[in-house]
Amino acid sequence: MNERDTALWWARIRSGGPQRVATGGPTPDGLRRIVEADAQAVWLIPDRPESAGPAVLAEYGVPGPAMLDSKGTLRVLAACVRCCWPDPATDPWPGAAATLDQVDQVLQRLVPGRNAVSRKALLTGASRRLAAAGWLLLEGADTVRLGPRIASYGNLELSTLRELWRMVPA
Amino acid sequence: MIFDEVLATLTDRRREMVEAAYALLENATEPVHRQYLPALGDATSQERLRELLRRTGRTLVSVDGLHFTSGFDDAVRAELTGLGWQPLPLADRAVLVLVLVYSVAIPRSEELISQDSWASPYPATLQDILRDSKVPATEARAALGRLTACGLLRNIRAGEQDGGYVPGPQLNRLTPAAREQLQDQLILAAAPDHPLAAAIRERRRHDPGDTR
Repeated sequence: MNERDTALWWARIRSGGPQRVATGGPTPDGLRRIVEADAQAVWLIPDRPESAGPAVLAEYGVPGPAMLDSKGTLRVLAACVRCCWPDPATDPWPGAAATLDQVDQVLQRLVPGRNAVSRKALLTGASRRLAAAGWLLLEGADTVRLGPRIASYGNLELSTLRELWRMVPA
Repeated sequence: MIFDEVLATLTDRRREMVEAAYALLENATEPVHRQYLPALGDATSQERLRELLRRTGRTLVSVDGLHFTSGFDDAVRAELTGLGWQPLPLADRAVLVLVLVYSVAIPRSEELISQDSWASPYPATLQDILRDSKVPATEARAALGRLTACGLLRNIRAGEQDGGYVPGPQLNRLTPAAREQLQDQLILAAAPDHPLAAAIRERRRHDPGDTR
């Protein structure tokens, strides 16, 4: 694949998130192919050194995108990570499928004070938003998997994620 | 592997400088002051930084001579849009255009903000957006949420006055050519009968390759 096509793939991912591609094709330079659990689908994500990734922002004290959780979306992601990553000693990708009922049981502990109806609305809206951004994959009406963005975490971020995993009650 | 190829012959210190500059330009919310970007002060490092950006579909954008960011390479942007690439849903695009009309095009036509700026202190209010939009209100609100989350819009909550939405920090990533094209598109959308719009159509008719 030439430099121009490679640059196009990088731009697609930058603007549209991880890209799902045919299983056989070539891998553009600097990208990584990650395979879904059933080996039916392959995603392309950037494979850059951690020293050129978002973790650098903290070192320089430069702000990155703020992650406010006013709507509870991040807590839904936390609950999904807890349910779809059965063994935190392994890689989170591709992880395992979980039902929305399982996720809801964890979520219940993370958003105390919400009733079942409001939690259901949160879960539906947030999982849709997270799926649109590539953090989750929705399978059918009530099954969820981790999305390809999860595979782009570096070692540093993964150790933080492991600590958070242990803090989330299940 | 792009990073190894481009940075191979640099010393460790220079390599680290270029990688850090790449990370800051690509990920910081706001344009970065050049004091954080020592790679720009050194000809070899700057050349490799530009090469790294180019190979990954990006380019260096100077915001005011002191602050820098990165944006899509003009050739890559033209080719992708030519192929019909469009990651934003239709409702999001419609709402974004409305905000740009209220917060930029109208104040600009009143000479309240400069011709080449996409920063605006004049918010489009929620009523502006809901009243004029053909997008249903619930969808428009969801679109505003998504556009704000990805930095294309910024939500302003003013004390006494009406709060609302202004262009977000991502607009700083537009290259000069992209800013000009967006300006043209906005004129075509907001004032299709204006002589300026006729001039833009005329220019494009004579030069179909003109993607300004």
